[in-house]
Amino acid sequence: MTIGLFWRVVLGLAVAAALVPPVSAQSFEDRVKPLVRESCARCHGVRTTTPLNLVDLGYDLTDHETFAAWEKVYERLERGEMPPATAPQPDREAVTTALASLDTALTAANLQVRGAQRTPLRRLTRLEYGYSIEDLLQVDEAVAADVASLLPAEADSGGFDTVAASQSMSPLHVQSYLAAADRALDAALVVGPPPATQHRVIDYTHSQVLAGLENCDFLACGATLRQDDGVAMISDVSATFTFHSLSEGFSVAYPGRYRVSLEGYPYQADTPVTMALYHGRMAGTSASLDALIGQLDLVGDDGGILTVTPFMRPGDLMAPTLADHDYLPQDDPSGYFVPERHARDYRGEGIVMQSMTIEGPLFDSWPPPSTRALLMGVDFDEDGYVVLSKAPYEHIVAIVERFAERAFRRPLAEGELDAYASLAQPLLDAGRPFAEAVRVPLRAVLSAPAFLYHTTPSGERDDFALATRLSYFLWRSMPDERLSALASDGTLSSPEVLSAQVERMLDDPKSERFVRDFAGQAFRLYELRATSPDPGLYPEYDDRLAQAMERESLLFFAELIASDAGVDSLVAADFTFVNRRLAEHYGIDGIDGQQMRKVALSTDSPRGGLLTQASVLKITANGTTTSPVPRGNYVLGNLLGQHPPPPPPGIAGLEPDTRGTTTIREQLDAHRSNAVCASCHRKIDPPGFALESFDPIGGFRDQYRVSGGMLTVPDGNGGELEIPAPYALGPVVDTSGVTPAGDRFVGIRDYKRLLLNGALDQIAQHLASQLVVFSTGAEVEFADRHGVEEIVTATRDQGYPVRRMIHEVVKSDLFRSN
Amino acid sequence: MTMSVDRRTFLRASGVAMALPVLESMHPALARAAAASPKRMVNICSTLGLYSDSWFPKTTGAGWEATQYLSLIEQHRDNFTLFSGLSHEEQSGRQPHNSEITWLTAARRPGLDGFRNSISIDQVAANQFGYSTRFPSIVLGTATAQSQSFTTSGAMVPAEASAAELFRKLFLQGTPEELEREAQSLEDGGSILDRLKTQTDALRRRVSAADQRKLDAYYEAVRTAEQDLGEVKAWQTRAKPVVGPEQPTDLPNPADLIGRIKLMFNLIPLILETDSSRVVSMMIQDHGVVPTVQGVSSDQHSLSHHGQDPGKIEQLKKIELQIVEAFGTMMDDLQSRTDENGSLLDQTTVLFGSNLGNANAHTPVDLPVLVAGGGFSHGQHIAHEGEHNAPLCDLFVTLLQNIGVETDQFSQSKSTLTWG
Repeated sequence: MTIGLFWRVVLGLAVAAALVPPVSAQSFEDRVKPLVRESCARCHGVRTTTPLNLVDLGYDLTDHETFAAWEKVYERLERGEMPPATAPQPDREAVTTALASLDTALTAANLQVRGAQRTPLRRLTRLEYGYSIEDLLQVDEAVAADVASLLPAEADSGGFDTVAASQSMSPLHVQSYLAAADRALDAALVVGPPPATQHRVIDYTHSQVLAGLENCDFLACGATLRQDDGVAMISDVSATFTFHSLSEGFSVAYPGRYRVSLEGYPYQADTPVTMALYHGRMAGTSASLDALIGQLDLVGDDGGILTVTPFMRPGDLMAPTLADHDYLPQDDPSGYFVPERHARDYRGEGIVMQSMTIEGPLFDSWPPPSTRALLMGVDFDEDGYVVLSKAPYEHIVAIVERFAERAFRRPLAEGELDAYASLAQPLLDAGRPFAEAVRVPLRAVLSAPAFLYHTTPSGERDDFALATRLSYFLWRSMPDERLSALASDGTLSSPEVLSAQVERMLDDPKSERFVRDFAGQAFRLYELRATSPDPGLYPEYDDRLAQAMERESLLFFAELIASDAGVDSLVAADFTFVNRRLAEHYGIDGIDGQQMRKVALSTDSPRGGLLTQASVLKITANGTTTSPVPRGNYVLGNLLGQHPPPPPPGIAGLEPDTRGTTTIREQLDAHRSNAVCASCHRKIDPPGFALESFDPIGGFRDQYRVSGGMLTVPDGNGGELEIPAPYALGPVVDTSGVTPAGDRFVGIRDYKRLLLNGALDQIAQHLASQLVVFSTGAEVEFADRHGVEEIVTATRDQGYPVRRMIHEVVKSDLFRSN
Repeated sequence: MTMSVDRRTFLRASGVAMALPVLESMHPALARAAAASPKRMVNICSTLGLYSDSWFPKTTGAGWEATQYLSLIEQHRDNFTLFSGLSHEEQSGRQPHNSEITWLTAARRPGLDGFRNSISIDQVAANQFGYSTRFPSIVLGTATAQSQSFTTSGAMVPAEASAAELFRKLFLQGTPEELEREAQSLEDGGSILDRLKTQTDALRRRVSAADQRKLDAYYEAVRTAEQDLGEVKAWQTRAKPVVGPEQPTDLPNPADLIGRIKLMFNLIPLILETDSSRVVSMMIQDHGVVPTVQGVSSDQHSLSHHGQDPGKIEQLKKIELQIVEAFGTMMDDLQSRTDENGSLLDQTTVLFGSNLGNANAHTPVDLPVLVAGGGFSHGQHIAHEGEHNAPLCDLFVTLLQNIGVETDQFSQSKSTLTWG
């Protein structure tokens, strides 16, 4: 630690000396102090009560605290926030002089402390490791994700997981890399005969399990009704006990992709019903429905077939179910448990499940492509066993060379190949099988620093490092052959070639990983399922809605890139993506089917743009209630890039109250009358007020929902059961507010208009910064402001288009330098 | 920290017959030979809080008046001490539940501004005890691999949420083929790590100065992993302890929150008694589903945001009562296992509580904290009042010292917290 710091300082000094004139206390004394004395000291001096004392604040900008304080001064002065409008305003020239001096001094100090290299040795994140395994070993993405899950979780640093400074390395990581590599090679390297293919048609008409339930038609136990050509399912409870593949005796013997086709038709349905398929496992006596993997709307008398190809492992099951039917007697939830209510008297909607066909594991060739690619140059006999054409060690050298070059994303250095390949020698000497011996060097490569880190060669940044940075930015994984070839012949860094590559990469499906990870972290979408909404207050929430919410946001962000839309779309757009489920949630008519598609929004719709997407509205609520504070924080932090400071120590959060006696608004008004609280909350609360018309699951509301408490109903076994009673409607929502600039607004549309008029540049600045941080793995610091500003300036005339901005990021010095 | 020296000193001082179970109920002959029983630590956190009105007694000192929750563990009144008014500072994180990752570390402002966690108390102890037991520490969960244990560099130690798998690691010998495969994997791992050290050295010469310094951290991690691997290899050749109970069957249903907690609570005394590890941490996690507890129809997180709705509070209490009751049963178990130096409970410093004081508002102050066993003088409710809570880290220092860790400081501590 001590040595590291010492070198940092020594190096930093050398660099600072080379780049900028030395910072002298005298220049502060001459150019900044007059302004401070004149315009700041009244409130930020020795004798005042504000925590900031500028008079005694020193000039040692290598000190972190001092630097941060002057940086704050610079920002507030530059934005014209200080001195406040109520105080006497300083001479314009004095401000300009002070700002210029501060800029020079802060930039120099920043570079001095940081050293020559902006991003020090970035490690592959857990996500990047998974994608790299997928591409390098050509294994299924499900396998790669399993393997990556063996690594320690990335810490929640408050920023992107790509930021090198927040990444840790520990013996635990090293042990996990060894274990993960073992698991990855188990999956990728398969020798021997192919697994037997299973093909099973589950015909529900002849299901033994369902036949046994025929007389158990009391509604609450998942009753079914036999039809001539299938079995009618009327409750999703059924799916957890019956109908699923394990209850029908199909078990997966070999992990792989399986083709699953589910056939059914509507039962007594006047409106569309949704046939859905879940991937699950047994959880005790019933199945856990872990992942919704497919859904199909069935309308009128038409049947349909839903086909998906999930990755299944031993123990997994496929559970068909139904949704969006009018099963539960909403008027009286207790009716569910009344024994007199029989399935045969049921007049509501359902689905007749006819059959489920499962076939797999699916493979085009054997040994699988991963094995063939890995063991390049090796032949296989008809049973899939290895046939060598030269000495085993020669094979191993050839295999390791190709593998390590891809894994390290550069040509191998002298001695490197031998160092890894020779690890196989002791095993060969001991007479162990070839497939076992070859694994050891491959396992070492997958745990090697050259694979796990983005290393910076000493000297100039080369094209291989550029290809790596670009590839991990837009594909989240290693360069492909084309990109590597361009790096190899040294043409990648030419502007035309680079730009063409960015286009190619953004058009490639692998860029979906970028959309998912960047949008997921920049807009916190990965938190979508962190809370489960209160089932009493929000009974309409389910997996299908959650999935549609998430897809809407990802498709929306992908569309901004594809259509090169401006950042104003983040605030307000005239389109979004919905399926029938989400459209109903939003009150949009005329959407059939469960596939997501782009739809135009009417001019009076409150939707459009990121802030009014259900995903964001859910992420910023706690599941039960909403508060303007987290939502305001989200708008300030995630959209505008102005994270408010956390509350001072000892300040408790607001106490949610769903009894309808006090609204959060009333509580907030009370604490905003406190001057200390108000200094931040006058900024935080207004956007949150504008979003008050959206409930915790993103539904539009005029009134708050109030808990109806619990209801005791018979449980069907002579006992009692407590279930949530229907909610009531409570106080009316107030969406009005005043911005710190004094603009009044009522409702979100009004507030969006204010953002469009005054905040687009700031939003563009933040997005550009975020792209730089995410792609380079280093925070944007004071000295990087001009670099970001250049990116924004290059896109300003066209309204800050997002795809253009990505190009500008890649072209920028921030991206191209270390 | 001069860890290796500390560890040797500690072992010499304690005179423990390393690696061998020492408790009377297991091996009476060995127990007689042992001069002292090892000191241990167990940390348990219920991450969604414990409803304050049902937890904290209204009265302080000895003879506190039992509350609804505490009446369930009243039989242990003289085996534990209750604390109120303790907390870590600056725990308002980016997400309101972030304090669950800093419960054992007290790192400030979790999840904000390039946050990096710091070492947790259990890992401080584990570093000191090292491989004097088969596992330096055992980290448990009830649903996922998320844990509250962090290494020196802030990496999360993954939790084991499968009781069956834990039992296998601790007590099942494995077939000869399994042992051979494991030995081969360790052997390969050893030569790989050795090679990675030389390759890191070689790479170091080819990269920039800034990268070189960061590579040192990787090198150090590889070096330590290699040492650890050596220790693991040594343990692999020794037979695992044989215990009475059968391998438990996991409860695959995440709704069976209480069942899963009990499975782990049943194993903790076995871990300690067989001296498989002296440091155990367990995080009672949010399972995100409606738990199968009679009369409960919402998930625990939703109920913790009861919004003062009496119906929800009633349901929340039904869950928490069962958690507290299960904890009491584990204390019974620890107390019933004895050797000549007293009960396992007396030899084990147990911390039980939550990272949230009032989960309804996510308040991370006035935390429910209970310390049991460890040979402390117990029976009181120690209340720290006033605007600022007393540092929970002061108590942590006391706990660490009590198990023989030579330190006078941990994270936010200002002093130690003593009572008597």
